[in-house]
Amino acid sequence: MKSTHLLSATLALALAAPGVLLAQERGVSYKPAPPLPKPIYREQRSSMDNKRDLSGVWFIRDYNRRFRTPTDTLPPFTPYGKAEFDKRVKAETDGKPYADASTHCWPHGIPRVMNSPYPIQIFQTSGKITIVHEVAHNIRQIHMDQKMPDKVPTSFLGYSVGHWDGDVLVIETKGTDPRTWIDEEGIIHSDQLYSIERIRKTENGENLENEVTLIDPVFFTRPWVKKINYAWRPDLRISEYICEENNRNAPEGGVTVAK
Amino acid sequence: MKKLLLAAAASAAILSTAAFGADVPSFAGVWKIDGDHSTIRTIDGRLPPMKPEAKKRYDAAVSARRKGKPTGDTLAKCLPHGLPRLMFAPYPFEVIQDAKQLTFLHEAHHMPRFVYVGDKLPPIESLDGNYMGFSAGSWDRDTLVIDSAGFNDLTTIDTAGLPHSENMVLQERMRLTDNGQGLEDVITVTDPDTYTKPWKARVTFKRMPNDYWLKEFVCTDKNPDAQ
Repeated sequence: MKSTHLLSATLALALAAPGVLLAQERGVSYKPAPPLPKPIYREQRSSMDNKRDLSGVWFIRDYNRRFRTPTDTLPPFTPYGKAEFDKRVKAETDGKPYADASTHCWPHGIPRVMNSPYPIQIFQTSGKITIVHEVAHNIRQIHMDQKMPDKVPTSFLGYSVGHWDGDVLVIETKGTDPRTWIDEEGIIHSDQLYSIERIRKTENGENLENEVTLIDPVFFTRPWVKKINYAWRPDLRISEYICEENNRNAPEGGVTVAK
Repeated sequence: MKKLLLAAAASAAILSTAAFGADVPSFAGVWKIDGDHSTIRTIDGRLPPMKPEAKKRYDAAVSARRKGKPTGDTLAKCLPHGLPRLMFAPYPFEVIQDAKQLTFLHEAHHMPRFVYVGDKLPPIESLDGNYMGFSAGSWDRDTLVIDSAGFNDLTTIDTAGLPHSENMVLQERMRLTDNGQGLEDVITVTDPDTYTKPWKARVTFKRMPNDYWLKEFVCTDKNPDAQ
């Protein structure tokens, strides 16, 4: 880990006041929420009455398989990070894409699982936030109001701790298995990946904004940000999604076989 | 009762922990199965009443397993347990409960199960045949009654190989026991294509400490049931 001081200073900023750190990347606008279909199942509506209540079903609005910064640039890659990215993009162009975790039906990793074109349901219980993702039945658990342990075990979805900063849910994640990717195109990470999500309700509670800061000194020269928005969807329920059945893209020898 | 529940639903507090009606017991928490249920018997200890064709398939699966040969068990391919087998799996599950939905999060294959309270079970023909089917819940005093249907016929009911068809319908009666430290599930299997009459199985669970967190169980990375 080079430039530890700079990194921790930047980190403190990212945790405390993303507006300062990311001023140049703010002001990005997304499309206004589409009119909601009439709720079929649940009359309960999301609202700003309790900004710390994120429970319910949400669906990504600005899904893109490629991660870019809010100013639509590639992440600030290290030379190694750029080479690994280019390798994957080229392999895909050549029709022999590398196999990522989802291709093996493994959990998708953080932040990747937060960027999938399937609904998610958020549950808030004592000391815990649980997110059930339709995609590949990922179940993500966030330890609330706990310190990040000095050492965390490696797992596909990593180890997440969360706390409220005003009405913003801040989730820090470490220990994400480096077999997972950050996006679907070819941005990958090392075992040093540290992600910080700042999640808050906007648009009268009909939008959930997730500002993800990604830190990995092996792959990136500085922290960078990806924004994801989700629409409140009380009309939806989580459906069954079985990747393991008839997996069309099961890898052979590390290479995805598209059928 | 129904009116009470609706009122409770309408005025439900915002956090889901507080949102089940006051007159309804809470199953919220983490549960672990009692005993081994790889071979399921009826509540009075008998082999379920299989039709001859089903019995043939069952005997073949039992015999193959005894000889160490593949039985076609979905778990060998990391496919889901399906219902009711998931309720017999030897791994913990967490229940999250509010007035309208009980969510069972199973450590086994990190599989969620959703029970929608207040829904009626639609006709089987209108349901997708899948592993977990559709589950509608209603409260009968202190007992949660779960009606489920809409299954595929790829799974078995137990590890030994009790078969079922796409027309299987389940009714579960789930209630707290032992001052809330136990959970009981009595499951009625109705499947006229496979069994000569409906039969019941019973399974019980013990409450686990509040600080137990579901572990990451990724079958496709390390499959404990590979054949």
